[in-house]
Amino acid sequence: MNIGNTEVEDTFAEAFGMKYVRLIVTAADEYWLDAGLRELTGYSSSVIACDAEAGVEQYLSEEETPDGRIGAAVLIFGFSTDGLQKAVPNRVGQCVMTCPSTAVYDGLEDGDKQVALGKQIRFFGDGFQKAKILGDDRHWRIPVMDGEFLVQDVLNVRAGVAGGNVILQGSCKTSALAAARRGAEAVAATRGVIAPFPGGVARSGSKVGSIYKTLPASTSDAYCPTLKGRVESKLHADAVAAYEIVVDGVDEQAVGEAMAAVIQAAAGENIVRIGAGNYGGKLGKFHIQLHEILS
Amino acid sequence: MTLELTYNGETNIPVEIEGINPGTIQSLSNAEIEKLPVFHGKEKCVVGDFFKVSGDAADLHMQLSGTLTGVHWIGTKMEAGQITIEGDCGRHLGSEMRGGSITVNGNAGDWIGAEMKGGLIHVHGDGGHQVGAAYRGSVRGMNRGTIIIDGNAGNEIGLTMRRGLIVIGGNAGDLIGFNMLAGTIMVFGESGIRHGAGMRRGSIIFMGESHPKLLPSFRHAVRYQPEFMQVLLRKITATGFEIAQPILDSNFDLYHGDMIDGGRGEILLRA
Repeated sequence: MNIGNTEVEDTFAEAFGMKYVRLIVTAADEYWLDAGLRELTGYSSSVIACDAEAGVEQYLSEEETPDGRIGAAVLIFGFSTDGLQKAVPNRVGQCVMTCPSTAVYDGLEDGDKQVALGKQIRFFGDGFQKAKILGDDRHWRIPVMDGEFLVQDVLNVRAGVAGGNVILQGSCKTSALAAARRGAEAVAATRGVIAPFPGGVARSGSKVGSIYKTLPASTSDAYCPTLKGRVESKLHADAVAAYEIVVDGVDEQAVGEAMAAVIQAAAGENIVRIGAGNYGGKLGKFHIQLHEILS
Repeated sequence: MTLELTYNGETNIPVEIEGINPGTIQSLSNAEIEKLPVFHGKEKCVVGDFFKVSGDAADLHMQLSGTLTGVHWIGTKMEAGQITIEGDCGRHLGSEMRGGSITVNGNAGDWIGAEMKGGLIHVHGDGGHQVGAAYRGSVRGMNRGTIIIDGNAGNEIGLTMRRGLIVIGGNAGDLIGFNMLAGTIMVFGESGIRHGAGMRRGSIIFMGESHPKLLPSFRHAVRYQPEFMQVLLRKITATGFEIAQPILDSNFDLYHGDMIDGGRGEILLRA
């Protein structure tokens, strides 16, 4: 299959089931909202070495948030509910509660399980915290130096899909970088998904295992242009750079739609091939075929 | 189809219809409903003695109409469904109810939602005394749910309430939140005296233009705009209760109290 002069490989992305929460973060203005979001979603590119994969799903207007201020929906993915139970309160406590004017609410109406958020962070209030049931949900008002940090008691947890991916190859590094950015922007415009890597793009794609026994993952040598001739390369003959856009989403359909949007956006001049990473279908439950999602 | 109960009683003695709820009569025929027991004073009677029964109970919607000011305990211990009352009704409306909703297109008597544990009561007229209160001798009053009264209400609103939300759109009497354990009471009009006496936790919020004099056992903290207020007001407006935009944007003066009982409660006065 081709899109213009770009070849789309007949292959699939191998994705995994993961658990996720959806937080609504609000703040007084864009400056403080972005400050909180940057902290909350930092160091969260991959669960290979991070406690979670996180990103902004969408920005919200005043009419779309519980407290009438501007906000954003953030998706945070973890291997398990227990993993999220550790990661989410730590991140919210250190990165959002500390940020002036912010508040945090649950962005899911229901879920398979729940993780404690305000229920855990409230102890920072040292006994001065107050519970307030708003609607059907308990919130905590934790006294802080600019008033109160309002945070929801618990967050719903649902099963999602992580590790959907698209790998693009360019015959020119500048063109490849521009295509990767177009792809990342396509993910940002799609509901129910995030691209957790920096700017939405990974340049250090990885394979499972290493010659070093303690490393669970190492560089994806088959996609490294400097290793052509030394390893069995998966790069197009004209390719000089490859970028991977990893997509985590609320379900397989959302991930597939986002991947299709990435491919459509990234294809173009000097993009010689677009494919996806997989492990032969042996590891991931979800096999997202590129030709199917484009049809 | 709605089950319609049209009151046709002619008596000055209280009629008590405790237990006649959408959930309890859903599977009954109209003939069976007419034979359900009610009390006329201390005399045991049946529904058919006081009400004309028509329609169908299957969809969990009951509508009561007629002169119901002498009919008490409507919706008591209700768990699901909807009750609509056209006109005024008597005391103990929705007492101990756990779920569902009651709408009164008129006024209601004392003890609205007393010791209620869930659900929504919306009175479009006035209410009486002891809204959401604990009955005499009980350890706690309302323990979840929402009561909205568009008009005025009387004394001892939220007496010993434990959780839940009470909204009074008009004026209220004395001793709001007396011995309150937790929960939220909002009053949009004027009110009487000695509010929050003995309160341990919870919030009493006065939204009106003029505010009551507070007890000396309440201490001022700060004037601020709490985030939870925006969430709360939006939840209230979602029920159909109208709040003007200037009120939504208000600041509040925070008072801690009652300091004779730990000072963990609060009174908020709209600035």
